[in-house]
Amino acid sequence: MQMVSGRTSTRGSMNTTQTDAAEHAAELLASIAETRSRAAFSELFRHFAPKLQSYATRQFGNEQTAMDLVQETMTNVWHKAHLFKPDKGSPSTWIFTIARNIRFDLLRKNKKRKDDISADELWPILSEQNDSLDDGYSLDNDVLMQEISQYYAQLPDAQRIVIEKIYIEGKSQQEVSDALGVPLGTIKSRTRLALKKLKELIVNDD
Amino acid sequence: MMIKSHPGEALLYQYAAGDLSAAMTIVVGTHIDMCKACRRTVCDIEQKLCEDNLDTIVNVANQAMTKSQCDKMLEAIFESSVCNKVENEPNDILYLEGRRFTLPRTLAHNSHRIGDWSKLVGKLWRAPLTLENGNQTNLIYMAPGAKVPEHTHKGQEATLVLDGVFNDEKDEYKDGDFVLLDPSKTHTPETQEQDCLTLATLDAPLHFTSGISRLLNPFSSLFFRA
Repeated sequence: MQMVSGRTSTRGSMNTTQTDAAEHAAELLASIAETRSRAAFSELFRHFAPKLQSYATRQFGNEQTAMDLVQETMTNVWHKAHLFKPDKGSPSTWIFTIARNIRFDLLRKNKKRKDDISADELWPILSEQNDSLDDGYSLDNDVLMQEISQYYAQLPDAQRIVIEKIYIEGKSQQEVSDALGVPLGTIKSRTRLALKKLKELIVNDD
Repeated sequence: MMIKSHPGEALLYQYAAGDLSAAMTIVVGTHIDMCKACRRTVCDIEQKLCEDNLDTIVNVANQAMTKSQCDKMLEAIFESSVCNKVENEPNDILYLEGRRFTLPRTLAHNSHRIGDWSKLVGKLWRAPLTLENGNQTNLIYMAPGAKVPEHTHKGQEATLVLDGVFNDEKDEYKDGDFVLLDPSKTHTPETQEQDCLTLATLDAPLHFTSGISRLLNPFSSLFFRA
């Protein structure tokens, strides 16, 4: 049996700059999805293309293949932005998993037969038919509110307010979004980051 | 029900990095569908991989993209049409021997790859899963009181219990349990009163010279501590 607990605390939590960057990227993805904004995509592209290029160059050691990975990954981002779920992870992690899938297929390109399985079938992250797989980030129900309350004072204000409105006042994420005048995607990513942070605080305290 | 046998962290890491064979990926991925704990771990690992491979990277490519390359690629992307590959309708229901099984998500997405069932010796049924050349991945159904003849393995064998229970000399395995068999040991799986549906692959992980060993370094303290 493998121990699966107690690791979260060793992984660094995001600092404010990264959180802001993630929120901004999530907003860009939202406007790509909703309005097909080319300006939003161009900004996202200029941020991620060099990073993807660098990742791919280290993976393949071949510039042309690296460029193929960048183009295929970002093409998916352009067409599939609506499949990004801010509450499931950060935009860069989502883009990384797309690149991971493209890499899997590119590595097999030469020996691939027509019916061979592709990465999208193995990790159906871009499937339109993605159902209601249950949310890996929700806290276990047996963690009582009282136990949590002493921790959430330690959250950054922006996250704490969202958590209070959702978990104490019982508002939906959409209602919080309307009340604060902040995009829904941002509320979702703040919720996710706050829950993650709470989990870290609780684990550290054990 | 508590899943007690999980893939090791090194395997989950290779899964998340895309470094496993298709066969091993589908077995580990199906376990993850069934196991909330491993799903969380994989989320954490994907985030960590992203931090190491994308977020913190200042451009180290020999030749960073020029502005004109960027513009050209952007234009190509805007002109591309949605490539909606024909998705096979996921099917999560499997009927066999008068039993009805529900398949986890990854398998349901690949139900069209499940071949015909054939009856083997000793109350065993087998259906191949067609993934890619040169691997052997099968759904194995063991009726109650079935026994697989004693055997050893040359390659690595991974077995995932989808439904039911089987046991070998060492232990008992139930829904969601992932078992990696030691190639050097003999092995005699059998069922008793209950039947058992498993997904099994005989296969060694691929070794990509570019990935694993180097990328594992920053993780070793997390992954391989006792």
